[in-house]
Amino acid sequence: MTVIAAPTSDLRSSQARAGYLFAFPALALYFVFVLAPVVVTVILSFAYYDPQLGSHWVGLDNFKRFFFDFRSKQIFWNTLRFTLFAVTGNVSVGLLLALALNRAMPGWLLYFFRLAFFLPVIIAAAFVSIVWGYFYQDNGIFNYYLRTLDLPAVHWLTSAANAMPSIVFMDVWKNTGFFMIIFIAALQGVPRTIMEAAIMDGTSPWRRFWRITLPWISPVVFFAIVYASIGALQVYESIYILTKGGPGDATRSMSINIVEEAFGSFQIGYGASVAVVMTLVILVITGVQLVISRRLVRY
Amino acid sequence: MTISRRTLLASTAALAAVAVTSKFALAQSNDSGTIRVLMNGGDADLLTTNNAIARFNKKFPNYKVTVDMDPISTGWGDFVTKVLAQFASNSQYDIYGTAIETFQTFASRGVFEPIDDFVAANPNYSDFAPALFEDCKYQGKTYFVPTSWNNIMIHYNRDLFDKAKVGYPKAGWTWDDFRAAAKALTVKDASGNVTQWGYEVPNQNFFVQPWFFSNGTGVLSDDWSKSNMLDPKVAESLQFLHDIIHVDGSSPIPGNDTLDNQFLAGQVAMMSRGHWVIPNIKNAKLNTDVAIPPSKVNDYTVVGFGAVGIAKGSKNPAVEALLAELSGPELEMDVAKAGGAVPGSKAAASIPEFLAFPPSANLFYQTLPHTKAVPSPANFQEVEKIFIRYYTAMMADEVSIADGCKQADAELNDSFARLKASLKS
Repeated sequence: MTVIAAPTSDLRSSQARAGYLFAFPALALYFVFVLAPVVVTVILSFAYYDPQLGSHWVGLDNFKRFFFDFRSKQIFWNTLRFTLFAVTGNVSVGLLLALALNRAMPGWLLYFFRLAFFLPVIIAAAFVSIVWGYFYQDNGIFNYYLRTLDLPAVHWLTSAANAMPSIVFMDVWKNTGFFMIIFIAALQGVPRTIMEAAIMDGTSPWRRFWRITLPWISPVVFFAIVYASIGALQVYESIYILTKGGPGDATRSMSINIVEEAFGSFQIGYGASVAVVMTLVILVITGVQLVISRRLVRY
Repeated sequence: MTISRRTLLASTAALAAVAVTSKFALAQSNDSGTIRVLMNGGDADLLTTNNAIARFNKKFPNYKVTVDMDPISTGWGDFVTKVLAQFASNSQYDIYGTAIETFQTFASRGVFEPIDDFVAANPNYSDFAPALFEDCKYQGKTYFVPTSWNNIMIHYNRDLFDKAKVGYPKAGWTWDDFRAAAKALTVKDASGNVTQWGYEVPNQNFFVQPWFFSNGTGVLSDDWSKSNMLDPKVAESLQFLHDIIHVDGSSPIPGNDTLDNQFLAGQVAMMSRGHWVIPNIKNAKLNTDVAIPPSKVNDYTVVGFGAVGIAKGSKNPAVEALLAELSGPELEMDVAKAGGAVPGSKAAASIPEFLAFPPSANLFYQTLPHTKAVPSPANFQEVEKIFIRYYTAMMADEVSIADGCKQADAELNDSFARLKASLKS
């Protein structure tokens, strides 16, 4: 049997050329601003980089320094516990607010509440952190009210025990509105017929939530958890502005450590190695969440 | 021929104009080019820089000078990284305004021109305190010209002292005197909450140095080559500050923000700062004065200063002329009038505007012989971060002073080992 290769028509090849041309700008931007920096960071993580004094390969030394440095454990733990508490707070409070607002009420009141809870999301984190920094000062507004109630003042940011919860609280206040909006959209997609049938069968609101609402919106909840986790693992500006990672290392996150080492201390190779470790951590955590989601996400 | 009065006046004016123009033409250079300058600070610094450039352009009218300002909002470490990246990408400025904290980092990397010949040829600098130029040297060569400086003094609110019936600080006051004053100046309300702090234990590396120097010690060795955190006197200084916070309750725990605003609002009686706070204090119309930091074994305080230098490869007569303007007597006068720092020139620091406020303004220049430069090794960026991290943890009682000193010592010495290895390579 003779195999005859299909001739490439002029039309097809010109369509392919046009396709590549259309894709080129996006691809070029992706290569220059995403892929190239990733590759360079990985390369730098194996080097001591100093253009003036001379750069050289150091093998795994930067990674060894990170894994054997007693500070790394604390910084890693800070990042994880911020992620754990901030994600839990943002997603659960966002869901509670969404459930509270997903009910019949006058239109203007609904929009008022939605706007009130969403407003902090659109304010830059830097501004929010500066203002909350004043609230948290020893003679700030929180301690003012505590004193008014004859309660002792609290070292919100200058005590290691209080600093991280204070930062998480601010983060939840600022970001939970975003998750609220997502959950409201998801809740409005829950079929009314199923819900009405459950009500007619006398199912309690608690049971309706766990058996119908939550399973139905579980893909959105999963998305929210992954999205919040990736953001929380990279937390930088709120901690930097409120505590600069202090007192000591009590609130220092991996992102702050990377920036301080690479750009503050000019240890660019070491900073790059911490960035690579952080990327791997995010990949692993997201991977674990994906595996868990296969068991829990229903639809 | 009859010459009218009008013609006579016009001719005289024309002749005078020609004479003036030709005189300027003699002093002007026909060279042309562009000079890029990176200075730091805010609007007042930009104004003094622009004034210097205007004077330069009278002599070099064909040169275009562009100025960028770096607010140093994230510290000298980030500034160093930015500048070194500019050199690495061959996009450096010709002249940089910088500070002592960066001198060794830049000089050890050979990115600035040695300017000993330029300094020796400039008679204006004979009026500057020689100690300032000493600190501008690296391995025997001068790389920078000091322009202004700040030494840390105790700023105190006289009204609050009067109200508490505490005598103003006198020359030779001691740590014990200071501690007693801070305690007496701390005011609490009926619930026991502090409404007025006696002192603000500093939260920054520069501000806290006098507490070590006045105890005859320092965080680093005298040659800035290794840690000195295990010196018992360092722990003694830290314990003293710790006790002001946790035993006396005369100061809040140092946090992320300084308490300048609280001082201006009359909620803090004493704070350790340089001359840069004077304009704000004047604006707030506070009745304050300055005192030399109290002594334990001596009355030494810390000095840090700004300077200008020429980037490697940019040295030429025009750039040198601009550098001379950026550190010249007129600029020094501008610095003295602005009040954001102490001018390098003694003559400028003696003008009435500079000495008008605070009442003991003369102490700023007078204490210069009793100052030590802020320790600024070539790894300053790391050293400062390590020290301040442990310092804040010790002041917040998160780590004991003994453990904090030990851990800081280990980290500082690791940093110096890395520095030595990189300088060797």
